[in-house]
Amino acid sequence: MNHETLLEFVLYDLQLVALTIFVLLYAIKIRQLLMLPLPLEGGAADQETSTGRAVAVSYASILSPLAMESTRRHWRRWAVFAAYHIGILVAITATFTIPFTPGLMTQSVRRVAATAIALGLVAGFVKIYWRLTLPELRSISQPDDFFGLTILQVWFAIAIPAVLLNHPGWLVVYFVMTALLLVYVPVSKISHYIYWFFSRYLFGRRYGRRGVL
Amino acid sequence: MSEIVKRAQEELDKRYNRLVALNASSLCTRCGLCADSCHFYLANGDPEVAPAAKTERVRSVYRRQHDWLSRLFPNFTGARELTEDELDAWVDIAFRYCTMCERCTVNCPMGVDTPVVMGAARGTLTAIGKAPEILVQLADAEIARAESIDIFKDMLKEQIGFLEEELREETGDPEASIPMEKEGSEILYVALSGAHTILPAAKIFHRAGVDWTLSFFEASNYAVFLGDMKRAKAIAQRIIDEATRLQVSEVVITECGHAVFSYRWSTPVWFGELPFRIRSLIEVIHDYVRDGRIQLDQTANPDPITFHDSCNLSRKSGLAEQPRAVLESAAADFREMTPNREKAFCCGAGSGLVAVEEWRDTRLAAGRPKAEQIRNTGARVVVTSCDNCRHQLGDLGEHYGLEIEVKNLAEVTARALC
Repeated sequence: MNHETLLEFVLYDLQLVALTIFVLLYAIKIRQLLMLPLPLEGGAADQETSTGRAVAVSYASILSPLAMESTRRHWRRWAVFAAYHIGILVAITATFTIPFTPGLMTQSVRRVAATAIALGLVAGFVKIYWRLTLPELRSISQPDDFFGLTILQVWFAIAIPAVLLNHPGWLVVYFVMTALLLVYVPVSKISHYIYWFFSRYLFGRRYGRRGVL
Repeated sequence: MSEIVKRAQEELDKRYNRLVALNASSLCTRCGLCADSCHFYLANGDPEVAPAAKTERVRSVYRRQHDWLSRLFPNFTGARELTEDELDAWVDIAFRYCTMCERCTVNCPMGVDTPVVMGAARGTLTAIGKAPEILVQLADAEIARAESIDIFKDMLKEQIGFLEEELREETGDPEASIPMEKEGSEILYVALSGAHTILPAAKIFHRAGVDWTLSFFEASNYAVFLGDMKRAKAIAQRIIDEATRLQVSEVVITECGHAVFSYRWSTPVWFGELPFRIRSLIEVIHDYVRDGRIQLDQTANPDPITFHDSCNLSRKSGLAEQPRAVLESAAADFREMTPNREKAFCCGAGSGLVAVEEWRDTRLAAGRPKAEQIRNTGARVVVTSCDNCRHQLGDLGEHYGLEIEVKNLAEVTARALC
């Protein structure tokens, strides 16, 4: 297999297989969750409330560090969270734009994307440092917390030259790593984000019905 | 696996519904942001009592059973087998160091519902006989009272007779009464044991000209604290049956946080649609003031007053504005604590903790953030609409030298009646 064939394989075929596994695993997990009975409370507040609005407020809270006392007080942690997740979002987006819309990946776009991922990498180091040093974090950290952070750090570190240089060697490593992550993420605690959608919906629904939000 | 652990595992499995599964999943990222939203953590700085750490104890057992990776590599994910020692540790984390106040939930970016996980742990511990004995006894006493109500009726009527005399004296109306078993009344008022939950409400009903009747039963429902929904439903059934028999239009629950919460949000699930509505006394007082059915004189309560939000009422039931509106009319100098409303700190003794005497030191320490809030207002009177909080705030006042009087909203309102 020559370099070009290998690159084409990891950019398209391997990603397709990994994405299929990714979707299948999530489909099974979500089905398992939805098969369980959902004990919802009855009743509704007397005062005028809008559950829809409360759900929207619940989802929007992630974007507003001032909305919660915890993120207001620990704004540095929120900033690191934001930088880290923007880095992830950009690194994921690049795995689609590089093979499917290469024209979009101009040199300046590459620079911006690489910078965002680099910031994510820095944020990842801060997260690891906090997890090792803050007592309330250290006491609840498990090996999979460190493993998850570490493999994403490796992924970020590979993504930066891959996105910036567009070199076939880096791209192969980046896309192989992405494929491995796609299979690992649904079974790991990194899958928290998928539950976030359910949780914030239920939070908004509950507090909306009760007239709190 | 011992018999008790086997039973506990079965009870945990029974409680594994969608809410428990979601909150026991990897939803919690173990970010630790919840730590200082918890009064127990603030009290002693012990990371083991931070919300994420407490729920992690229970979550790790669920994970061992239900999470794919944890089944294969439990040490990697921190998943645990259930053991009797673990269950003993749960008694502390679920009953002693968590008041199910939901303050961590509203401060969690992921929305982890800690009380859902703790509720599963409490229910499991109750089912295997490891719940605090006093809570079990109190719940059983509530059921026993319903089973032999005829024995209590005459005694209760006699006691109410004394309060009735007091009511007549204070209102100056020789016809003023505290009716019981009055069919077709507008309101069935469910109080607690203690004149402070009966007499002020009676004065307010009298002044508002309401057709009401007093329930034979107390509003409290200790089975809710136990996570024992079967027993909680049996306790609620007493009030539902009484209200149905008396054909009232409305059941009004006294100033009791967990009672309002459970009657308001759980009874529709347990009993379906009812022929009467259920409200809190604070909503009723608010409506009387708003509609001009009672007039209040602020000068009757001249001392600086602050209001403590019961978690069950403000954060969990959206009843934060009504008591404030009443206090603005009933008190000359109303001051807010910060933070307040749904962001307020728990008093430190909710969800049954106040009843467990051997954990008194724990709850007094956990009440420190609340005591500091009160001190910062400079208030001499603290009003709260929950009897559990009232008890704890009184103790906090003594313990932290706050020089405060603790009253409920009805007392302050009754005093201000024109």
